[in-house]
Amino acid sequence: MAYAYLFKYIIIGDTGVGKSCLLLQFTDKRFQPVHDLTIGVEFGARMITIDGKQIKLQIWDTAGQESFRSITRSYYRGAAGALLVYDITRRDTFNHLTTWLEDARQHSNSNMVIMLIGNKSDLESRREVKKEEGEAFAREHGLIFMETSAKTASNVEEAFINTAKEIYEKIQEGVFDINNEANGIKIGPQHAATNSTLSGSQGGQQAGGGCC
Amino acid sequence: MNFFRGVMGGQPSGPQPTGGETVQRLCDRVASSTLLEDRRDAVRALKALSKKYRLEVGTQAMAHLIHILQTDRSDSEILGYALDTLYNIICNEEEEEQDMLASPSIPVSGKRRNLPVPEDNAQKQEEDLGVLFTEKFLKDPESVMLLLTLLEEFDFHVRWPGVKLLTALLKNQCSQVQGVILVSPMGVSRLMDLLADSREVIRNDGLLLLQQLSKGNAAIQKIVAFENAFERLLDIITEEGSSDGGIVVEDCLLLLLNLLKNNSSNQNFFKEGSYIQRMKPWFEVGDDNSGWSAQKVTNLHLMLQLVRVMVSPGNSPGASSSCQKSMYQCGLLQQLCTILMATGVPADILTETINTVSEVIRGSQINQDYFASVNAPSNPPRPAIVVLLMSMVNERQPFVLRCAVLYCFQCFLYKNQKGQGEIVATLLPSTIDANSISAGQLLCGGLFSADSLSNWCAAVALAHALQDNLTQKEQLLRVQLATSLGKPPVSLLQQCTNILSQGSKVQTRVGLLMLLCTWINNCPIAVTHFLHNQENVPFLTGQISENLGEDERLVQGLCALLLGICIYYNDNSLENYTKEKLKQLIEKRIGKENFVEKLGFVAKHELYSRAAQKPQPTFPSPEQMLFDHEFTKLVKELEGVITKAVHKSSEEEKKEEEVKKTLEQHDSIVTQYKDLIRDQDAQIQELKQQVSTLSLNNEQMQAQITQQQSQIQQHKDQYNLLKLKLGKDPQGLSSQGDGAQVNGLNTEEMSQLREEVEELRRQQTLLNTQLSDKDTLINTLKSGAVVVQTVEAGTESSANRELLSELEVLMSRVQSQGSEISQLQAERQELIRRAEATASAAPPSSGSSADATEVSDLESRLAAQTAETERLKEECRGLREGCAGLEQQLASAQSTVAVEQTEKAKLQQEVQESKKEQDDLLMLLADQDQKILSLKQKLKDLGESIDEDEEDDLDSRDQFDEDEDEEEDNDD
Repeated sequence: MAYAYLFKYIIIGDTGVGKSCLLLQFTDKRFQPVHDLTIGVEFGARMITIDGKQIKLQIWDTAGQESFRSITRSYYRGAAGALLVYDITRRDTFNHLTTWLEDARQHSNSNMVIMLIGNKSDLESRREVKKEEGEAFAREHGLIFMETSAKTASNVEEAFINTAKEIYEKIQEGVFDINNEANGIKIGPQHAATNSTLSGSQGGQQAGGGCC
Repeated sequence: MNFFRGVMGGQPSGPQPTGGETVQRLCDRVASSTLLEDRRDAVRALKALSKKYRLEVGTQAMAHLIHILQTDRSDSEILGYALDTLYNIICNEEEEEQDMLASPSIPVSGKRRNLPVPEDNAQKQEEDLGVLFTEKFLKDPESVMLLLTLLEEFDFHVRWPGVKLLTALLKNQCSQVQGVILVSPMGVSRLMDLLADSREVIRNDGLLLLQQLSKGNAAIQKIVAFENAFERLLDIITEEGSSDGGIVVEDCLLLLLNLLKNNSSNQNFFKEGSYIQRMKPWFEVGDDNSGWSAQKVTNLHLMLQLVRVMVSPGNSPGASSSCQKSMYQCGLLQQLCTILMATGVPADILTETINTVSEVIRGSQINQDYFASVNAPSNPPRPAIVVLLMSMVNERQPFVLRCAVLYCFQCFLYKNQKGQGEIVATLLPSTIDANSISAGQLLCGGLFSADSLSNWCAAVALAHALQDNLTQKEQLLRVQLATSLGKPPVSLLQQCTNILSQGSKVQTRVGLLMLLCTWINNCPIAVTHFLHNQENVPFLTGQISENLGEDERLVQGLCALLLGICIYYNDNSLENYTKEKLKQLIEKRIGKENFVEKLGFVAKHELYSRAAQKPQPTFPSPEQMLFDHEFTKLVKELEGVITKAVHKSSEEEKKEEEVKKTLEQHDSIVTQYKDLIRDQDAQIQELKQQVSTLSLNNEQMQAQITQQQSQIQQHKDQYNLLKLKLGKDPQGLSSQGDGAQVNGLNTEEMSQLREEVEELRRQQTLLNTQLSDKDTLINTLKSGAVVVQTVEAGTESSANRELLSELEVLMSRVQSQGSEISQLQAERQELIRRAEATASAAPPSSGSSADATEVSDLESRLAAQTAETERLKEECRGLREGCAGLEQQLASAQSTVAVEQTEKAKLQQEVQESKKEQDDLLMLLADQDQKILSLKQKLKDLGESIDEDEEDDLDSRDQFDEDEDEEEDNDD
């Protein structure tokens, strides 16, 4: 289980938008249709490969309910990436994005990569938030955007991996201080930092191209 | 508040008033002084009084002290005094103080020891005070927030008492403080930073703080874990020397336990973070029994517990099994087994190690298999299982150790059919090995030893070898025992019932009854065997019907259970003991109600629910060792069905039977249809698969065909090109051969073709070399011929030219000489004429003599010239002869050329023939492809299943062979 980097993620957003389902789909490749309220925070992990490097993702799936908000805030500081999720069939979850974003920006380190996710894209008939609106919001606030379906697994891998690519790119650019674990990034046990920066710079550009 | 007043009122006399007054005065000063120095002195004085006048300081000064914390943030000294004071009034336990104030500069308070009131009472009072002041402090949650911000102060005099104060608050009012910290932004994260403090005192007290903080609060536990607690704690443990480390290691381990116990999310994180691997070195304790300090024992104990937390039977099965897997993969299990077999390990560590190994292998086949393969380093090596079982049936071993071994054995057999089979096999007559001690022998020994604990343990262990395993239940019926010399052997089953009826200790009988129940449960053959012994049923009915004392109730209940199983799993094969007859027997001898009541005794026993809680056999004392966890499950399962079975009258049963039958019929019909559907489904699946493979095949074939077609086209083109070129370039054929080689899809056919082509090519090259030989020969001959021809015909060859020019030169010389000769002749004629003229004209005088010399002179000259002419003539003749020779040579060369030319023509014809042959082969190949195509088409049309190319190939090859035969025939 050797890895080059370890990234910590958090998943945030209103209750019932499918945060736990996204995580389950990503880590276990399955979908659970019954809504099981998350209490506090749940943990999940998976290994991915970017630019030929093994990257371990440790993901904390937070409770969306207001009553847990103060608990979930404790997780912002130590995370390198956040998936901010709303439900395309519920406009209110989209309207709350601003609050979530403020909360995240306030408590996280400034370099945290935030990916905006419009989940439940399989429920096209019940759509209340247009894709363009999500794109516009993301553009306005400098986020990456994607519509996913935890049920059909559409774009789920991409959402997690593209976020990792963005973080990886930032590392190559030297934006992140990889030696400070409080940023939610850790270098693998046997991975020499120097060669990673050298060999990784090209890959970062590649990844960047893929994202945009 | 009533209590408060009571406490205050209880101390009206003595020196307290002065104390109280002093405190009051100091408080006033703290509140009113404008100078920092004054306030500081006052707080310092309060601190000094805070132990002796805890109540007064607490009631009067707290608000002021909190105020100081808010307003005098800039002065770390006063903050330190205030925090110390607050700590003194809030902190309760003497013990704790001693822990906290371990530094020698602060004297340990001896106050409590001087109090005359009994210890309990005093402690209670103190605790009440502590809780009271804690509540007062917490009234405003802001105070805790304030304290949290103060902890960010780096100054030792602030941070250290701050940490201690917060710890004390948590101890008194855990959940409330936890709640406040949880909602304060970054509250937990800040406290985590304490672990990174370079001052060990603060780091160590930070550990204690986090221990309190994480107690029973999953949310906080998760945040602490999120803040890299595992990494830091494991690092500290390593730095401090792992199990050889001091109390700090213990504290770290306690905190780790807090974080992981019953917290599946954190356990998952721990596993995913590869921290299990980091536990392995903890257990590399080696064989030396030099260092087993009390601290080391404690540390190891906690380490083992940490391992157990990860694989506890209470965890979700998936989580446990993945941890078990990685424990095996990283060598942790192997390391634990080394401790298990090592010498000089303290008994309690050994016991806990056995328990830990038990849970690491429980239900995990790989780990169980590994455990079965572990050998003790004895001579000869014995399996670890055998060595452990020896301890289990050994009276002199500690009780907890024997329980641990039993647990280990149970875990080894849990969901392990292979292991169960191996254990039972050691009892079977065919496999018994008389030379070494086997597990089966030890169990039998234990079963029939005089020690009731051994009886019980062996019975339960054997029952676990039969759990949910029909094969082994039947196998064990074959086991025969040689009781004593001269007597016939007795079956194991018989021996068990014999001992049962002999009336031994309750523990022994309970053990045997549990074994029997497990054995015959769900195994009609065993039931028949049991009933076959005529004494068994009367014994059971006797036991149940008798009115015995409290002690015997459990035995009675178990007997009822056993009899119930005999009814429920009866296949009516014994005429005397059919279901019906046994029921009648119960009704007559015992009475249904009585029977059910007695049956109920089992589950109502006080120890039953205790055993039902968890799989590990733990008993406060050896006498209470009565129930096995797995057996409680069995009771739960059987009690209801047996009660029902006994209550049912025969008519009801008949009815039920009928209903059951019809139901069964329905069921069978349904299952029939289900099967049909399943079959059809499978068929459909299969067909679908076939279709998909066929279509895939088809695609492949088509691709192949197009490829081949293009290749054929290519070959045709090449061939045409070659045909054109052939006259000049016979080598072209070989490239065609290569082309054919590329077309290697109908492999068999192709290889044959290729071989032939190869042969042809070989022939061709042979011919080619011959041809080229011939060609060179021809060329040399030709050139020879040309030389000859040029000599004759005056063509370009330089040699010819030379000869020609020579000839010309010679001829011109001949001509010039001829002309010279004619000139000379004319000259002579003239001279002769002149001489005649002179002779005639003048007398023979001096003149005539001169003339005469002149004539002779001329005559000699003439003779010389004539001789020269003769010589030249000779020369000409020689040259002409040479010419003739050359002409002759030329003629002969020309004839050879003709011969060669015919030969060449013949060869060319041969080449042409081989070309043609190859052409035919290629045509044949095209035909084959065409055929393949048509066959494929046909197959596709028919939708028939032809899965491989080979068949095609075979067909085509056959055809090809036939063709070839025909050809050969034709050739013949």
